[in-house]
Amino acid sequence: MTRGPDAGDRATVYLASTGTALPGEPVDNTALGRLLGVSEEWIDIFVGTRTRHFGWDPVTGEVRGSLADLCAEAGARAMDAAGLGPADIEFVVLATATPDTLLPTTACEVADRLGLDHLPVYQIQAGCSGAVQALDLGRTLVLGGRRAGLVLGGDVTHRFLAPRRDTARMPTEELVNHVLFGDGAGAAVLTDEPEGERIAVRSVLNSWTGRGRPPGQLLDWYGTTDRDSQRPMLAEDYKAIEEHVPALSVEILWDLLGGLGWGLDDIDFLLPPQLSERMTARIVERLPAGPAREVSCVAETGNTGNALPFLQVERLLPQFAAGNRALALCVESSRWIRAGFALEKV
Amino acid sequence: MGDIAIVGIDCTFPGAAGVQAYWDLLMRGGAGITPVPAQRWDARDFPAAGGSGGFIDDADVFDSDFFSVTPREAAAMDPHHRLLLPCAWRALEDAGRAPGDLAGTETGVFVGVMGGEWGRLTMSDLARVTPLLGSGSSAGMAANRISYHFNFTGPSLAVDTACSSSLVAVHLAASALLTGECDTALAGGVNIVLSPSLGMVYGQLGLAAADGRCKPFSADADGIGRSDGVGLVVLRRLEDALADGRRIYAVLRGSAVNQDGRSNGVIAPNRWSQQRVLDSAYRRAGIAPDRVAFVEAHGTGTVLGDAIECAALGAVHGVPRETPCAIGSVKGNLGHTEGAAGIAGLIKTALALHHRIVPASLFADRENPQLRLGERGLRLLKSPMRLPRGESLAGVSSFGMGGTNAHAVLGSAPRTPRTAGAGGTRTRGARDAVGVFTVSADTAEALRRNLTAQADAVAGRPRGAAAALCRSSNLVKTGLPHRFAVPVRDTGELVTALRRAAALQDTASGAGRPWGRPVTAFLFTGQGSEYPGMTAGLHRDCPLYRRHLAEADQALAPHLGASVRDLIVGGDERVHRPRFAQPALFAVGYALARTLTSLGVTPAGVLGHSLGEYAAAVTAGALGLEEAARLVVRRGALTDELPSGGGMIATSAGPEQLAGLLAAEPGTVAAALNGPGDTVLSGPLDALERITEQLAGRGIRVRPLPVPYAFHSPRMAPAAAGLRTETVRCAPPAVPLASTRYGRMLRHEPLDAGYWAGQIEEPVLMDSALGALVAEVAPTHLIEIGPRGVLLQIAARGGRAPAAEHLHPCPGPGATGMELAETVAALYRAGLDPLWEELYAPEHRSAEALAPYVFSSARRSWDRETFVQTARPPATAATPATPAAPADALTALPAERPEPSRGAAAGPAGPDTDDPVLHAVVRAVAEVGGHPPERVVAEARFYEDLGFDSVMIMQLKNQVEARLPRVGEVSVQEMLPALRSVGALAEFLRDAAVARSS
Repeated sequence: MTRGPDAGDRATVYLASTGTALPGEPVDNTALGRLLGVSEEWIDIFVGTRTRHFGWDPVTGEVRGSLADLCAEAGARAMDAAGLGPADIEFVVLATATPDTLLPTTACEVADRLGLDHLPVYQIQAGCSGAVQALDLGRTLVLGGRRAGLVLGGDVTHRFLAPRRDTARMPTEELVNHVLFGDGAGAAVLTDEPEGERIAVRSVLNSWTGRGRPPGQLLDWYGTTDRDSQRPMLAEDYKAIEEHVPALSVEILWDLLGGLGWGLDDIDFLLPPQLSERMTARIVERLPAGPAREVSCVAETGNTGNALPFLQVERLLPQFAAGNRALALCVESSRWIRAGFALEKV
Repeated sequence: MGDIAIVGIDCTFPGAAGVQAYWDLLMRGGAGITPVPAQRWDARDFPAAGGSGGFIDDADVFDSDFFSVTPREAAAMDPHHRLLLPCAWRALEDAGRAPGDLAGTETGVFVGVMGGEWGRLTMSDLARVTPLLGSGSSAGMAANRISYHFNFTGPSLAVDTACSSSLVAVHLAASALLTGECDTALAGGVNIVLSPSLGMVYGQLGLAAADGRCKPFSADADGIGRSDGVGLVVLRRLEDALADGRRIYAVLRGSAVNQDGRSNGVIAPNRWSQQRVLDSAYRRAGIAPDRVAFVEAHGTGTVLGDAIECAALGAVHGVPRETPCAIGSVKGNLGHTEGAAGIAGLIKTALALHHRIVPASLFADRENPQLRLGERGLRLLKSPMRLPRGESLAGVSSFGMGGTNAHAVLGSAPRTPRTAGAGGTRTRGARDAVGVFTVSADTAEALRRNLTAQADAVAGRPRGAAAALCRSSNLVKTGLPHRFAVPVRDTGELVTALRRAAALQDTASGAGRPWGRPVTAFLFTGQGSEYPGMTAGLHRDCPLYRRHLAEADQALAPHLGASVRDLIVGGDERVHRPRFAQPALFAVGYALARTLTSLGVTPAGVLGHSLGEYAAAVTAGALGLEEAARLVVRRGALTDELPSGGGMIATSAGPEQLAGLLAAEPGTVAAALNGPGDTVLSGPLDALERITEQLAGRGIRVRPLPVPYAFHSPRMAPAAAGLRTETVRCAPPAVPLASTRYGRMLRHEPLDAGYWAGQIEEPVLMDSALGALVAEVAPTHLIEIGPRGVLLQIAARGGRAPAAEHLHPCPGPGATGMELAETVAALYRAGLDPLWEELYAPEHRSAEALAPYVFSSARRSWDRETFVQTARPPATAATPATPAAPADALTALPAERPEPSRGAAAGPAGPDTDDPVLHAVVRAVAEVGGHPPERVVAEARFYEDLGFDSVMIMQLKNQVEARLPRVGEVSVQEMLPALRSVGALAEFLRDAAVARSS
C-alpha cells in the first residue's frame, strides 16, 4: 500500500484505538468491607478506592474468568475500534504480573482467541509499568517495520486475594492489598500511520532505577517445594511508596517534558500514577501546577496493575481533541521503575 | 477486466467439513486421505483402483426436508446434487444475507462437475429407470437444482472441462457478472468418488499414485489419488460488494481459459498452452507477472504434469524479480478433487489472501530437483509464507485432462479503514449497544440444533459488544419458519441466552413457529404516567428514539418555549406540572410509536387514554405532528391555568355500584370507566373523601390519585372552552382508532376542536373503547405506548383481550433499550419481519461472520450396490409402478435412519388417527412421497412441507381414489383448492364422500 499525502512521520508511531475489559459488576466498599471484616470507612480513608471488579466470586472464591478472557476481550475491542482484522495485526505484546499459567504464556492464549497466527508474540512480566514497557516494545517493533500491532496489559487477583477468614489477624501491609487491587485488562492498537484515533506516541520513558533499593511491592508464588510456606504472597511497603512515588513522579514529568521540549503549559491532560485514590491525590498534589486536566480511573477500577494506563487512555479519548497533548506517568514500586509516555492527537 | 469480489465461501473437502476446518487443515499441514470407506466399496474387490483416497464424511447425508424434497426423490438424487444444495445455502449465508432474500433474483449458478458417473451408473439398467432417476441424471441438473430450490432465474449451467471444470465455472460466472447477466453468482464445483471406475482408468494410464496421494512437485511424485470435494463461492461485482458493505475475502482481478488444441495427444498437458493461459489472465488483470507473490498450481503430482507446469510457470514468472514466485498445490493435502479441484485451489488462495498467509505445500520438503524451480524464479513453499502489508496478488491454475486450461488472478480485498471512534471504543461508563440476535430454522429440532451451533461459535470469540453480530444475524439468520430472537448487549449474555434457549426449546413441531403475522394495537398512556427522567435510558440507548423525540421536541418547542426533551432527559421535576406533563407525555408517546413504526411495527389499531389520544391520533394519521403539538401545549396551559381544587380517586368498583354514591354527591362524576371493577372518580375533595369512606365500608379498594385537578369533570369547562376556540386541521384516521371519548371506534366524526374540547371534560370510556378495538382488529399483541405500565394493567384487569400478549417498550424508570429490543424480538418470534436495520447505529452496521446453518444429518442414503455394480446379481427390485414398496434397492430407503417421531406431535393426523378419510390420505401421501407416515400431519402443506409437485399430485389422486372408493373419481381440478394441506384435502374428500352417498 502506498503512503497517502497525510502519511505520518516515519519516526512516529500512532495509537489507533484502545479497548478495555473489567469483569462483572463493580464491588463497592460496603460489600468488600463485609467480606474482609473491615469497616467501609477504613477502606475509604486508607485507599479511597470506591469500586473494583473481580473475575471471581468474592464470597465463594469461584473463578469465573481468566486473564486470557479479559485480555482477549480488551484486544478484540481495540481491534474492532481500529477497524482492523486479525490479518492486519503483526505482533502482540502482553504485560502482566499474574499470568494464567507460566507456560504457555497468556500472550499466546490471547493471540489464539483473537484469531492471530504466525506472528511474534511477547509476554512481559511486569507490574504497574508493564503497559508502558509493552508500549515501548510495540513502538520499537513498528519503527522496525511492522505496520500494526496489539499491546495489552492486564492482571487478575484470584490467586492472591481469595476470601479468607483470617483477615482480622492479617498485617496491614498484607491487608492493604485486598482493598487496593482489582481485575482488569486493557489494550491498544499501534500503527505506523495515523489511523483511528490518530494519536501520535511522542515519547516513551521506561527506565529501571532500583539499584540498591529494597522492593516496595512483593508478589510471591509457591511451588512444589515450598507450598506450605507461611511467607506472605503479597506485601507492600506502603510507607516507602508514600515517600518515594510522588518524588519519582515529579522526575518522570520533567524527564518527559524535557525530552520533548514541552513546558507545563503545553500539556492538556495528565494521567498520573494510579496506586490508589489517596496516593494518586497525594502524587498530583506534589506535581508542579499546570493547566493539564487529570485523567484517573483508580477510584472506580481499583489498582488493576498492567491495565491501568489503558483504562486511563480510554477515558482520555472522548475528551482528546486534535492538537491536544497528554502525559502519562507511571511508577512501578516493586523495584522502582520509572515509566511514562507522551501522546498528541494529530 | 472488471474486479469481482469473493463475498461468500462454503466447502467440504476430505478431513475438512467447512471453511474454517479447511483453513485449519491447510495451516497445520494436514491431509484428508484415508482408506476407502466400506460404504463406497470394498477395496479388496478392486485392487486396481488403490486402497485409499480422499473421502468426505457424510457424503450420504441430505436434509431433504429442509429443501422440501420427498424422501423418495432424495434417495433417487445424485449425491453430487444433494451435497451442492446445503453448500449453496451456507455459501450464501456466508455472503451476509439470508439465502431466501435472493429468491426471484437473476442470481447465476455455475457448477463444475466432471463426467456424469451417477447417470451412467443408475440409468444403465434399463429395467430400473424411473422418471426421478432420469430427470436427475444429467450433469446440468447439478446447477439447475440449485436454481430451482433457491428460485434463482439467472444463468444456470454445469461446466464440464474435466479437471478444470470448477475454475472454468468461476471464469464464466465472472464474465456473466461483468456483462450484467446477473448481479450475484454462485460458482464452484463438486466431485464425489462414487465408484472405483475412474481410479482403475488412472491405474491403467499409469497416472495413479501407489499410496493414493498426490505429491506435487516432490521427488516422490508418482501420480494421482482421487478425492471428493464440494465448494462454492459467492461472487459480486467489486463495486456492488463495497457499496453493500459485504465482507470480501479476495478480489478476482482477471481470469482466462484456453485449449491445447491439437497437441501431443488429447489427454497430454501442453506447456505452451499453459503459458498462454497465464499470460492471458495477467493481461486481463492488467498486472505484470513479477507482482504475483504466489501461484496455487494445478500440481497433480504426476512426473510429466509437474515438469510441464513448472516449465510454463517459470517461463512466465521467471522474470527479474525481488523474490521468487512461491508455488504450492493443495492436492498434497486433499488429493485430486477433479471437478472440484479448481475451486479447492481458488478457495485456498482466497483464504490465504484473507488471512495474509499462504499455507505450506505438503511433500515440499523432498522437492523434485529436476524441476529446477530456483532457476525458474520459483520457490516451492516448504513453510507457511506471511504476505507483506498492502495488496498481494496470487494466481490459481487448473488444467483439464482434455486440454482446457484455466488461470485466475486474485488480489487482496481493499482495506476500508474506519474513522476514529466508529467502533468499539466506549465512552466512560457507557454500556454496549443493544441488539436482537436472531436464529431461524426449518423445524423445532433444527432450531435447537442451530441455537447450540451459534452458542458454540459465539463462545469461541472473545467476549465483546454484540450489536454488530446481532445485526448480521438479522440479515442472515432469518427467513425460516421456526424463529428465535433475544435482545442482548454483549456476547457473554448472548451465549447464556442461546444455551438456555437450546436447553428449553420445545421440539414439538409447532414450537417457535408463528403461523401468521402479529396484529398489534397501540395503547397510548395518559396523564399520571409521567415521572422525571422518563424514557431517559431508552433515549441513551436507542438512536431511533432519540431522533423521534427530537422531532416531537422541535414541533412542541415554538409553542412551549422550552425543550421537552431536555426536560425529560434531564429529570426535571417540573414534568409533574400539567403545562409540561402533557407536552412531555405527548412527545414520549409520539416518539415511542414512531420508533416502533420505523422498526416495521405497524399498528392495526390505536387507542389513547385521555391525553394519550393526541399521540394516537398522530400515529393514526388523523392529526399532523405540528397540529397536535400546538393543541397539546394549549391543553397543558389551559389545564395549568385552572384553579386547583378537586381531585380524583381510583376505585375497584364498577360504574353501577357507584351510581348511587355519585348521585348523592353533586359535583362528583365517573371520570374514567376503565373496566368492570375499575372506575376513577373526579370531584371536590370533601365529596371524594366521603365516598372513600363509604366504599371502604363496603370493602371496595380506593386509591387517591396524585392530581390536583378533577380531570374529566365539569370543572374542566374553562379548559374545554379554550380548546373549543382552536381551529384544528384533521383528517379521517388511516388506522382504526378507538375513541375513549365515545367508547367505540371512531367513525366519521372529525377530530376537530369540538372533539378535543369534549374529550377533556367528559369521562374516559376506556373499557368500551378497548372492547370495540379488540372486536374491530382482534389484536394478538397489545403494546403500551407510554413511560410506565398503566393501560396494560387496565386491559389485564378488564379481561377485554385475554389471549393477546402484552408488550411494553418502556415499562418504567429502569427501562433502557433492552425492553424496546425485547418488544421487537417478541414480535419477530410472533411472525413480524421488522426493519432490523433501524435498530442499529451506523457504527454497528459492519458484516460479522456467523457460524453456518447446521443441517440435519438424520437422513442418509447411499446406493452402494448400484454405484459399484459388483458381479453379484442385481437385487429383485420392485418396479416404481408399485409405490407401496419404499424398500426397493434402487432408492435405498432402508439405509435411511429417519429422526424418531420428529414433527409428529403437531396434529391429530398421525398414523393413529381415528378419522378413516384422513388416515387414507396420510397413507396415500406417505406412499407417493416416501415420507414416514408420522411426518404427514394434518397441517403439512403439499408444496412447502412435503415437496410435492404436479406429477406427484397425479399419483396422489390415483392413490386416494383407490383407497377411498366411496369418494369415487375426483379430478385434479376439483382437488386443487383443497391441496393446501393434508387436513384440507381430507376434509374435501370427506365432504365429497358425503355428497356422493346422499
